[in-house]
Amino acid sequence: MARMKRGRGMAASWYGIARTATIDRAGAWAELDDGGTGKVVTGVTEIGEGILTVLAQVAADEMGIKPQDVTIGDNDTARSPEAAHAGATRQTYMIGNSVALASREARNVLFEQIADHWDVEIEQLRAFDGEIWAEETNLRMSMEDAVATCKARGVVPVGSASFTAHGTGLDPVDGSGSPWQAYVFGTQVAEVEVDTWTGEVQVLGIWAAHDVGRAINPRGVEGQIEGGVVQGLGQALMEEYITDKGHAITHGFAKYILPTSLDIPQINCVIVEDPDPKSPLKAKGIGEPALVPTAPAIMNAIYDAIGVRMKTLPATPEKILKALRDHVPGREQIAQSARQERAGAARH
Amino acid sequence: MLTCDNYHLPTNLPEALAIWSNAKTGSRLVSGATDILPWAREGRAGDVHLPELIDVTRIAELNGYSFENGRVRLGANTVYQDFLTDQTLMRSLPCMPFCAIWFADDQIREQASVTGNLVNASPVADGTPAVVALNGEIELTRLHDGSVVSRQVPVVDFIEGPGKTQIAGDEIATAVILDTANGYGGSFQKVGQRRSLVISVACSAALVKADRDGRVFEDVRLALGGVGPRPIRMSEAESVLRGERISHALIERAAQTAADTVGSRSRKEYRREVVVNFVRAALEDALANQPEVQVDFADAKEKTHA
Amino acid sequence: MPKLQIDAEVNGRKISREADPHARLLDFLRDELNLTGTKEGCGAGECGTCSVFVDGKLVKSCLMPVAKVSGSRIETIEGLAKPGDLTPVQRAFHKTGASQCGYCIPGMVMAATSALRENPQADIEEIKERLGGNICRCTGYTKIFEAVEIAKAVIAGDMPETALEEDSVEDSYIGANVRRIDAPSKVSGRLKYAADMKMPDMLQMQVLRSPHAHARIVSIDTSAAEAMDGVACVITADDVPGKDGFGVFVHDQPIMARGKVRHVGEAVAAVAAEDLVTARRALAMIRVEYEELPGLYDPADALKPGAPVIHDYAPDNLVKHIPVRKGDTQKGFAEADLILEDDFGTQQVEHAYLEPEAGIAYVDPDDVVVVISPSQNITHHRHMLAEIIAKPINKVRFIMSPVGGGFGGKEDMIYQGMLALCAMKTHRPVQLNFTREESLIASAKRHPSRVHYKMGLKWSGQITAIEFDMLSDGGAYGMSSEGVMRKAAILSCGPYEVENLSVDTRGVYTNNTPSGAFRTFGGMQAQFATESMMDMAAEALDMDPFEIRRINMMKIGSSTHTQQTLETASLDRVLEAAEIASRWEKGAPRVRGAERGDLNGPDTRKPCTLGARIKNAAKDDAKTTERVA
Repeated sequence: MARMKRGRGMAASWYGIARTATIDRAGAWAELDDGGTGKVVTGVTEIGEGILTVLAQVAADEMGIKPQDVTIGDNDTARSPEAAHAGATRQTYMIGNSVALASREARNVLFEQIADHWDVEIEQLRAFDGEIWAEETNLRMSMEDAVATCKARGVVPVGSASFTAHGTGLDPVDGSGSPWQAYVFGTQVAEVEVDTWTGEVQVLGIWAAHDVGRAINPRGVEGQIEGGVVQGLGQALMEEYITDKGHAITHGFAKYILPTSLDIPQINCVIVEDPDPKSPLKAKGIGEPALVPTAPAIMNAIYDAIGVRMKTLPATPEKILKALRDHVPGREQIAQSARQERAGAARH
Repeated sequence: MLTCDNYHLPTNLPEALAIWSNAKTGSRLVSGATDILPWAREGRAGDVHLPELIDVTRIAELNGYSFENGRVRLGANTVYQDFLTDQTLMRSLPCMPFCAIWFADDQIREQASVTGNLVNASPVADGTPAVVALNGEIELTRLHDGSVVSRQVPVVDFIEGPGKTQIAGDEIATAVILDTANGYGGSFQKVGQRRSLVISVACSAALVKADRDGRVFEDVRLALGGVGPRPIRMSEAESVLRGERISHALIERAAQTAADTVGSRSRKEYRREVVVNFVRAALEDALANQPEVQVDFADAKEKTHA
Repeated sequence: MPKLQIDAEVNGRKISREADPHARLLDFLRDELNLTGTKEGCGAGECGTCSVFVDGKLVKSCLMPVAKVSGSRIETIEGLAKPGDLTPVQRAFHKTGASQCGYCIPGMVMAATSALRENPQADIEEIKERLGGNICRCTGYTKIFEAVEIAKAVIAGDMPETALEEDSVEDSYIGANVRRIDAPSKVSGRLKYAADMKMPDMLQMQVLRSPHAHARIVSIDTSAAEAMDGVACVITADDVPGKDGFGVFVHDQPIMARGKVRHVGEAVAAVAAEDLVTARRALAMIRVEYEELPGLYDPADALKPGAPVIHDYAPDNLVKHIPVRKGDTQKGFAEADLILEDDFGTQQVEHAYLEPEAGIAYVDPDDVVVVISPSQNITHHRHMLAEIIAKPINKVRFIMSPVGGGFGGKEDMIYQGMLALCAMKTHRPVQLNFTREESLIASAKRHPSRVHYKMGLKWSGQITAIEFDMLSDGGAYGMSSEGVMRKAAILSCGPYEVENLSVDTRGVYTNNTPSGAFRTFGGMQAQFATESMMDMAAEALDMDPFEIRRINMMKIGSSTHTQQTLETASLDRVLEAAEIASRWEKGAPRVRGAERGDLNGPDTRKPCTLGARIKNAAKDDAKTTERVA
């Protein structure tokens, strides 16, 4: 028998965006500030997912300025409006939309003044990348001048917004309800190599296709998918917090084994954009859903390689070798007889 | 956390031995410190206060290495990274680079010494089988009537069990002396739950020298780690192979003897199976890693697909 | 303790300082020199966040007694580039989005820098090996590899400097790869996480934790600890002025154990002292008398009649049961041509964010109790703490410090209350930095789960009925268990339209480390079982795994397991995208690895065999020999 065996498996998944089976909400404040810069205030901050960059992009796009000219005031219950928690794949969806709406409002305040100043219709105004202009005219100025003009007319261009996601609770008896207004779907394929001498599994490739709604920052989306895949891989193959009568055996990182740079498959991301019809940004999310299909895809690939089905995680080298040792090809016989029956059924 | 009253950094051996022999009870010698600091943490020893720590890394006599009579004396300050950067050591000790690459990571290898690794006598220490395969001896030094005296103990005897060695209370381990094995192919096998920074479930080291035609095992050295309280030299398997025509079948037969060496109670079945495979892999890798020899397996044809 | 004299060169400057004899280089850099770009992630040499150069060699400063560096030349993340400047490695990390939470990044940048200094021609296998001592929990390493390869090429002159610049944007910033605005502060080590912050007159807090899984607290004697020099205060549950209890769904967890402990590692008392060593010594002086109680360690035992009761309010040890019913499963199974039944299990998993929990609390001049911490939910924490310390809500202020990884693990208010109490008792700023070991035993985990699964299918591949029964170990406290059970139930049977289903998810109390929120919130545990079953069904029906999923997939207008009508659905699109991208060779999943033709493509990596640099050195050696010959 060849020592190294390869195989492939796949798994699909779905997930809901923002808080579950409840109304979710988030608030934000925005201001078009001196120098044509922007100011956004929100109650959460970065946990690593890239939300500050997403918010800067969203605010910049709405206000017609550059992302690097957006200042974000964040993270303080005494200084910012409620944005609630940083989790539940809700940051881009909840805070992003809230910031979009607040920024839009601030921009509209500015647009009203500039439209009046230039004597054009507000619908003619466009702003992007630090400049404002009126379509079908030669009127154009910097956002810095536009803000100064607006303020000289006695108006500070500010906005605020609250964004709501309408989930409903579940019926206590049959669980019926509409827990989310936005769903995402994903599919991953895994390619593995199993060392039948040691039981080690190396994941060599992952193809991860995820619907994220509109991707605000594709590179950031990839980062979330790659991170999710590797957490899924860790759970699939090595990670396990073990206790004995409540006492941790895995009391440090020498015992609690995490994936390192040598365990990482080539991750091929495919971003699918199915826009969300219920929110101004049309984005959905990716933080959590990215890791859902990874472990089953890897287990399905291990089965393809060596014919043993790992039903309890993690599939450690020791468990793999034991499974190979204990393997009776009984399941295959069941499958075979089922196939024959099916073939019979198809004939009749 | 680890606390202490005094931290000494002696710069020569007599000074170090004097400090050590006068140190308060409970004091410890420190080499790389990569084991003692993680030891003094929750889940292991917890908060530990030691009277004195005597750091050996600035003792001039413990630096560098020297060759004599087909052996190399590695000063106790030789760290694992040296086996990946020093071309002379890489050529002379062909299993050590492969052992080193599996040992912890680049950062820890810069600090962790081979000698310290042996003195800590962990049953899963990566260095032990590689050193044992090289007929390693450890040099232990103490002050006797004011003069510095040393003795050498084979590592296979020196390590008596987990954390237990033959070092005496007033001794400092000052060197490891190994066979040089220029021209041998070396290899090291290890399995844990990942490939970097991982404690092995089992490991093995091999050194192989074939004749010029690559047909006969001229010499074979095999050792196992992680399978029992003490290091294991597989002398029986070595003698099965030595002088014989090289073939996969013979390697497989020799490898089978490894299973019975497993003494660990935990994960016994797994270890028994893995070490057999390891010995096979270690021998095949070591043969392949031999410089300037093309190995000619007697049963090469049947095995090409493997 | 006699102090050590440390004379060294740090980032090009001579320094001369005294240090405690036991101090580690890490402590010295962070506490004495305020070089907090060097992070502590594990304290045991297992994560690499504390990597620095000593005399040109990369080491882990948590494993290096500071005494060893006297006379040495040290280079930290702060010293790689001049202030305001970034090295090509740092710029490449910025460019590719290689930093997410950023906590591992200074160490990772140091390791990448070391890799390229040691071997400017290192290939990707060698680069990966040289990064092997550094753990990143956010990025999946992929963008880091990309960054190191770009930096390598720029340094070698194989790529222009412009490769490090931001991509240009056309007509919208939405959909553009704008570089992360927080990256420069992360790649340079300048961003201050909670453990990096210092306030004048600040105390250090340490927590006494339960050594028992389930025990009654008979007495706590703090007098000896309180009498120690340098101890500012000791707190226990008796110091809580308001209504004690927190939790994401049910407020069943006291700030510190009240009357009994329910898991190993539960906070029992806390000390605030002038320094860390004093605080730890004071902990050892607190006397707690326990009376051990029978414990529950298996979730199945928790539901048995007569099982020990962990919380009085829940005599059946049930945290939450979520039922979902749709259609008629009896009818569905009767219609099935094939019924598969099996069991699946997932383990307890740690979030392992590289930033251990940390925080500072102080009382401001307006009597507002301020807590700075990497909390994932400052809104809810403010609500709960106001009740616990009996203050009006506007007298409690939470500031969310940069979070060095969360993944759900920082949603629980497991230490902020203790910090607030110490600040209120001393009117001094108080800081608590968890050790990694403390983070492991005291913070919530991913729920371990067991699923019993029964699936009925037609020969056509259509699912006729599913019975799904999940039991999850919630551990000692409720935390997010209720929500996790709900999400697991809603998502249970996967993205497939199933006419008849019966789903039950139960979370129960045990005396194990609590389970809580963790990225997917029950979704992965449930769908691991479903996706395994789908492949087993596909094998039995001799059907391609994509095909069986397409036959059953949710579409626009489908009714979900909770009978919500979907207005959008994209499973068809992601299935097709993955199938095309992976060049999937069609066929039933019946162990065809040996014969498939879609393996080993250019979009896979090579298996790791370790020793890239040895092989490369051997190759170089051979080349040299050739030239000589």
